[in-house]
Amino acid sequence: MDFSLQPDTPEISAFRKEVREWLAENMRGSEPLRWSARWSTRENDEEYQFRRQLANKLGQKRWLFPTYPPQYGGAGLTLDHQFVLETEIDRYGLPLGSIFYTLARLVAPAVLKFGTEEQKLEFLPPMLRGELAVWQVLTEPQGGSDVANCLTKAIRDGDDYVVNGQKIMVGHHLPPDYVWTLVCTNPAGKRHENLGWLYIPANLPGITVQHLHLMMGIKNAVFFDNVRVPAKYLVGGENNGWKVANSYLELEHGGGGSVSENPLFKRLIAHCQKADFDGKSLMEDQDVRDVLADMLIDLDVQRLMGLRNFWHRYVRDPHPYGGPQFLYFQRMVRLRNSERVQQILGFDALAPDGSVHEEADFEYTVRSGPGWLHGGGTLDTDRLIIARRLGLGRPSQETAPTTV
Amino acid sequence: MDLKLSDEQSMIKKVAADFLKAEAPSYVITEWFQEKRAFIPELYKKTAELGWLGMMLPDEYGGGSASCTDCAAVFEELGHGPLPGPYFSSGVLAAEIILAGSSPAQKKTLLPEICNGRSVVIPALSDDPIQWGPRSVQTRLTKTVTGFVLNGIKRFVYDGDAATSFICAARTETGGVVLALVDRNAPGVSVKPVLGFMIGAAEVRFDDVAITADNFVGDWGVVERALIKALPILCAYKVGACQEIFEMTNEYTCTRVVFGQPIGRFQRVQDHCVDISIHLDGARWITYETLWKIDSGIEAAANVHQAKAVASEAYYQSCNFSHMVFAGPGTDYKHPLMAHSVAAHTLYQYLGTPLYHKRAMVDALYPRQSSAA
Repeated sequence: MDFSLQPDTPEISAFRKEVREWLAENMRGSEPLRWSARWSTRENDEEYQFRRQLANKLGQKRWLFPTYPPQYGGAGLTLDHQFVLETEIDRYGLPLGSIFYTLARLVAPAVLKFGTEEQKLEFLPPMLRGELAVWQVLTEPQGGSDVANCLTKAIRDGDDYVVNGQKIMVGHHLPPDYVWTLVCTNPAGKRHENLGWLYIPANLPGITVQHLHLMMGIKNAVFFDNVRVPAKYLVGGENNGWKVANSYLELEHGGGGSVSENPLFKRLIAHCQKADFDGKSLMEDQDVRDVLADMLIDLDVQRLMGLRNFWHRYVRDPHPYGGPQFLYFQRMVRLRNSERVQQILGFDALAPDGSVHEEADFEYTVRSGPGWLHGGGTLDTDRLIIARRLGLGRPSQETAPTTV
Repeated sequence: MDLKLSDEQSMIKKVAADFLKAEAPSYVITEWFQEKRAFIPELYKKTAELGWLGMMLPDEYGGGSASCTDCAAVFEELGHGPLPGPYFSSGVLAAEIILAGSSPAQKKTLLPEICNGRSVVIPALSDDPIQWGPRSVQTRLTKTVTGFVLNGIKRFVYDGDAATSFICAARTETGGVVLALVDRNAPGVSVKPVLGFMIGAAEVRFDDVAITADNFVGDWGVVERALIKALPILCAYKVGACQEIFEMTNEYTCTRVVFGQPIGRFQRVQDHCVDISIHLDGARWITYETLWKIDSGIEAAANVHQAKAVASEAYYQSCNFSHMVFAGPGTDYKHPLMAHSVAAHTLYQYLGTPLYHKRAMVDALYPRQSSAA
């Protein structure tokens, strides 16, 4: 076994050097910025512009989706290269997948796997160049995590689909260029056999976006009122949407794995070493040390589950239940850490600190305990998927779909 | 990055799995647990022939020069049993203590005998059952005209009844801790099995046991150095045990029908299996990363404590969640879960509880400034 994160061959070492130098050059000016989390209550325009431009520059280098085929705007590089990019940019506290607020990282694999050649050539290059903000628009008010319970209708009329319906809890504070939407293409059809995916230009007439101010930041309701979407935007074929959804959701459900560092623990240790109570640093208090021990164990298990999933993706051998297991465990760890931070800091844990990246902020940590119990499903849907993958009470086990 | 075992390690693992299937199938082990038979000498000899005792020792002492990960591959399979016996306590821990603390002459006489299974050397370290570690060593070593004598009672010595000799930790008159080799048949040594919700424990008394200077094998620092390589092997055993519990529990949810359907269709029941998976995989990957660090020469003191805490807790909790699924039948001593439940409680205590090791982990990472005060 080898857990080292930098198995660099000479070729990869050279690439790492190139990426590091490029980032040193292109991250200049970001020093005063404090990254907000992907969904955030404190996004600001200066930061947004920086991240968006960075995505553009990375996209032009073809480093945003490095392993994608060149004809679609990728660099045709290996997962080793992607790994270098992910770890190098992580040194700046940013994950490669959410450089700016787009879910293209989830949408592009689906288009690559299920799109026609024409669709790939048209849709992928601008997405891979980092020019587009793409929203994932799945949840409906009545459906919630029952994604297949989809009432937004897309009825074929000549060369178009006419779309009517409502989605909720999607997107972020700035408008999208495209929305990636699950629609019902056959209202009379059977469950799971009546769905389709539309990649919809967001500027089409009839689309309205309304902000929702939520615990973890701004999300939106999206209304479709007789929106005429040209049929070329249907990806994966009519009534074939559930198959697309299955493969696509595995990435959202943790199957992609993770190699990034969690900045929270280090900051908490630094705080405890500095903070004085009763003439002693908090770090000398046995109760505090016990809370930190539990937290460290949780975070290490989470890190290793993420690493395991990354490796399974890397060798193209999906872990049978690792994706939803990681997601479920991460939610529970966030919830426990939410209380741990409060136990150690007292009221200070409820006051945001704008001088650090949001992911390392204690108030954000407290909020994201209950706030991240859902998103990409709920903790209960995570467990439901694990149970099916294990085949509990069933004659056979569901297999994990391969991710791209 | 490569998170799978090497081909050779997978082969070792398969040999161990086949051995267990042939020599100690689950129903046999369950019987041993019922009868509190914690040591099966014939089986112990066979494992010596397979090279599993003292596996990590250098060739010159009769060992196999195996890496920690190689050795862990075997012990993970033994954990599936869970196979009782001094495979770990003598074959790993005592072997590593003697390797770390003995004179070259002692090593040459003692270690080959551990490897061939004729000597079963059992560490008898803590006296105080509430605590573990050097502070809990109370057995006294007193100077006499001709040498030294040992006096004290070690109340829970794991695998104590299998011993041919002990490594006894004792406090000197100046307050330090030394390790002394004591023959089981030496005058003044008595061994009495302790029965209860545990396996393999024995009370070992030392009444005016005479010791000479060439019986010493080092101080507490030697134990700590040996534990770095030994504890992750014990963790691998627990990982194998959790895997076994996970599989048998999942299977039961498919075959057991209540209220007209397999119980695996009930989400409450599914949750228990999900919780086992979390404990199992947490223990597995924390243990594996620790093994890799040790084999790669990376500092791993904190990881070792972490692994012991996580794996002990995982084994214990996996049993509890499994009991929730098996309900009544799982509490029958004839049920394989009971062997695991008894082993999990014993190993929760053995060599320090999760709380002890969590604290040791934090102390290793962030030493206390006020330790002098």
